[in-house]
Amino acid sequence: MSLWVDKYRPTSLGKLDFHKEQAAQLKNLVQCGDFPHLLVYGPSGAGKKTRIMCLLRELYGAGVEKLRIEHQTIVAPSKKKIEINTIASNYHLEVNPSDAGNQDRVVIQELIKTVAQSQQIQSSTQREFKVVLLTEVDRLTKDAQHALRRTMEKYMSTCRLILCSTSTSKVIGPIRSRCLAIRVALPSTEEVCSVLTSVCKKEGLLLPPELAKQISEKSGCNLRKALLMCEACRVQQYPFSADQDVPETDWEVYVRETANAIVSQQSPQRLLEVRARLYELLTHCIPPDIIMKGLVTELLNNCDGQLKAEVAHMAAFYEHRLQLGNKAIYHLEAFVAKFMAMYKKFMEDGLDGMMF
Amino acid sequence: MNRLSVGDKSAPSRLNRWVDPSFTDFPTESFSVPARKKGGQILNSKCEAKRSRKRKGDSCSDSLKSSLLKESTHRDQDEPWVDRYTPHSQAELAVHKKKIEEVENWLNVHTQSSQGGILLLTGPSGCGKTATVQVLCQERGLRVQEWTNPTNTDHYSNSQQDWRMMDFSSTSQLAQFQDFLLRANKYNCLRMMSDGGGSDRKLILVEDFPNQFYRQPGSLHDILRRFVKTSRCPLVFIVSDSLSGDSSSRLLFPREIQEELNLCSISFNPVAPTAMMKVLSRISAIEAGKSGGRRGVSDPAVLETLCSGSSGDIRSAINSLQFSSLTDSSLEQSLWKVKKDKAGTSVGKAASRTNRRKKSKQKEPEEEQAIGGKDASLFLFRALGKILHCKRESSEGSEPAKPEPVLPSHLSHHHRGSLQDDPELVVERSHMSGEFFNLYLHQNYLDFFSQLEDVERASEYLSDADLLTSDWTSRSTMGGYGSSVATRGLLHSNSQQVSVGFRPLHKPHWLQVHKKHRENSMAAQSLFRSFCLSPVSLQTHLLPYLAKLTNPMRNQAQIAFIQDVGQMSLKRGLTRLSLEALTDKELAQVESEEEEEKQEGGDQGAGDEALSASQPKPMSSQVEEEEVIIEEYNSD
Repeated sequence: MSLWVDKYRPTSLGKLDFHKEQAAQLKNLVQCGDFPHLLVYGPSGAGKKTRIMCLLRELYGAGVEKLRIEHQTIVAPSKKKIEINTIASNYHLEVNPSDAGNQDRVVIQELIKTVAQSQQIQSSTQREFKVVLLTEVDRLTKDAQHALRRTMEKYMSTCRLILCSTSTSKVIGPIRSRCLAIRVALPSTEEVCSVLTSVCKKEGLLLPPELAKQISEKSGCNLRKALLMCEACRVQQYPFSADQDVPETDWEVYVRETANAIVSQQSPQRLLEVRARLYELLTHCIPPDIIMKGLVTELLNNCDGQLKAEVAHMAAFYEHRLQLGNKAIYHLEAFVAKFMAMYKKFMEDGLDGMMF
Repeated sequence: MNRLSVGDKSAPSRLNRWVDPSFTDFPTESFSVPARKKGGQILNSKCEAKRSRKRKGDSCSDSLKSSLLKESTHRDQDEPWVDRYTPHSQAELAVHKKKIEEVENWLNVHTQSSQGGILLLTGPSGCGKTATVQVLCQERGLRVQEWTNPTNTDHYSNSQQDWRMMDFSSTSQLAQFQDFLLRANKYNCLRMMSDGGGSDRKLILVEDFPNQFYRQPGSLHDILRRFVKTSRCPLVFIVSDSLSGDSSSRLLFPREIQEELNLCSISFNPVAPTAMMKVLSRISAIEAGKSGGRRGVSDPAVLETLCSGSSGDIRSAINSLQFSSLTDSSLEQSLWKVKKDKAGTSVGKAASRTNRRKKSKQKEPEEEQAIGGKDASLFLFRALGKILHCKRESSEGSEPAKPEPVLPSHLSHHHRGSLQDDPELVVERSHMSGEFFNLYLHQNYLDFFSQLEDVERASEYLSDADLLTSDWTSRSTMGGYGSSVATRGLLHSNSQQVSVGFRPLHKPHWLQVHKKHRENSMAAQSLFRSFCLSPVSLQTHLLPYLAKLTNPMRNQAQIAFIQDVGQMSLKRGLTRLSLEALTDKELAQVESEEEEEKQEGGDQGAGDEALSASQPKPMSSQVEEEEVIIEEYNSD
């Protein structure tokens, strides 16, 4: 039994549930016979990968769905071995080069070269190019992105690239200009609701519209999350009730509790406890920037209007440091300390104002 | 073939005799010169020069006498004072009485019974480990049998005729060591004529380990296991600690082995300044007496600087004392010469001479520091304490004679007293990279702050410091600045230092957390590869929800992983992580913190067991506090 997310994933451009005109455009693009490099971007859970896989199916037919997971070893010029996992069919190769850390340049060059150098055998019946799908392009180092730009031009005849990222801001200009950019926006609440209802119908379940709405709002229109939530609801209680609690992930609850702890008391001792909680989150594989984001959203709920701007500013400042710096805990803790100090001062000022 | 170095002490001293020390050629030369002069004068003997010749002859014999005397003193000077003043009784030892007692007790227990035991003495170099053993053995008439690593160069030199012997003699050091232990344990020494009775009891001393043991400590352990079974006499190992991290005692004698072999371990502290002063002043007094007044008793101030410069290493202190007195005496001699040559010169010269002497006196402390100075080093515990406790010069003690530059009024809240220690120096002496030191500071600084505003500033400085060292290409240059910013930032931002008293310090938790984070991420990706998700959405969405779903997993590893990582304990009480306390003499475990962004796959094998012990346990409801209180480090 696979997850609903995987089970009911649309497999052709025609079956996509939302952004239908974009799907039609992509269909036209394929029918032209050739297509340029693509840069697909949009927030996570909007269906980028689904859309790409549909596109590939449109290009090559059902053969694309025969996937195999390969474990490749690439030897860098410095004789260092890099191991990386790829997902491939006969027609395409999917790889997440940022897995290789800062050796990603080598990975990109080597992989694309090997793919591009092997010609399709029967070019009369098939497309004369293969597709390399690179995910998380925004996490690539600048080095790798520049290497990518050269590689893109060199192997244009035998190979097309589809780049997939959450935002274009970290993709360098030359690459952006060489690709056709396709933005996949998040679905609207109604669209999420309709997807949820249709999935539940296929499962033979009855989903009350109130619950569907609640789920879609809680998931922030992230369809993957919404479907997972829905499935968790199913496990939690069936038949569904309209005012059912939608289960959240443990770490989200944990972050909220941490935020509450920060707001309820501001002292060095409390900071020490918060640090322990941050460590706990980190050991549970939650990336530091996500922790930061979660904390800020929770903290902002507790803030007054004036304070909000300041807190957001500090959060942006330390989030930037998180990206630049090396050890996340310094910056997370500095942010928490900063917030504590600001909040404490704000509360004391407020008390003074009340007294006089 | 078997290198039993019995009565080891006498051999090298005899060797010394054979080798002509380079300094002793001086007296023979001074002897020959006057002789030739004499001869020449005899040849040119004329009656009118009789008077003058007689005078000259007299002076010659004088110089001869003095040169002979000089020779004897030079002989003396060749012998290092460390050897000449080896302690012969417990009273002369500069080691703390309790330590001596400990060793003594052990010796008493293990020499009375016929069953031997193993003792391990550790401590920094020059703290009197060997001397203690020697003295105690001497006192109770034990014969010390010491292992020295054989040098097998002589086999190569006379290779031709006894090549057949070669295969016999070129056994490995390891085998020779084993052989040595066996024989030393089993057989008594041959009783020579001169030997007094009662020397049948003995003690085996190993200071010099065959190199192989450092590579494969297991081989040593095997030998020792065999030894313990049959041992009849006590075996003493002496291992010097080094501050630079690789503690060979921990490598050679890990804790399991110590327990298994019932090995008693006594660790020595550096020699206390008071004890060292006593020894140094005694030596300098004896030397002054020997030199017949030509050499004065060294200035206590000089001794003091020697003491502090040696950082508890008495051997180096005595050596530098000898060295300093050497230069002293030569200076004096040259001064004497000046006086003799220019006898009857004006008073002005004499005045200039005293000036010179004064000058040399003034310069002395720094010179001595340059001569005998050992790199002072701090144990991590103390280095951290120096930064965190933030000791400042007391303001009332200093005279307001020289007005310090005062900050303008709007900045006056930034005013702080001057620091007692230079933070950069402290970091340097801790033998750690600045980054690593910052981690230690970060782990511990919150305990020392009382004001939240101070904490806010301190944490900002730490964040700044991390930013400075983030880029690995420039890290080597920026590291110093980073640690400067962190230490000085912490010191300055702690505006209301309360005397917190003793606080336990802990090892940084970040390293483990970071490692765990990376391992878990890798594991997640390899275990759940079939979902084809990017790491972020995998870790933040899929795994936590998988924990809530009743989806049948494919294998056991996945189930275990989800239970471990996907779920978090949501108990109300804030869980405290169990921390690893930092013991006072802990050396920096330089777990080479590899460039995270450079090599993802490199793993540190060392920290594994420590990790599992101190990991947060998500399932247990209350992790009990495992904070070991460390007793204060006593320096004597």
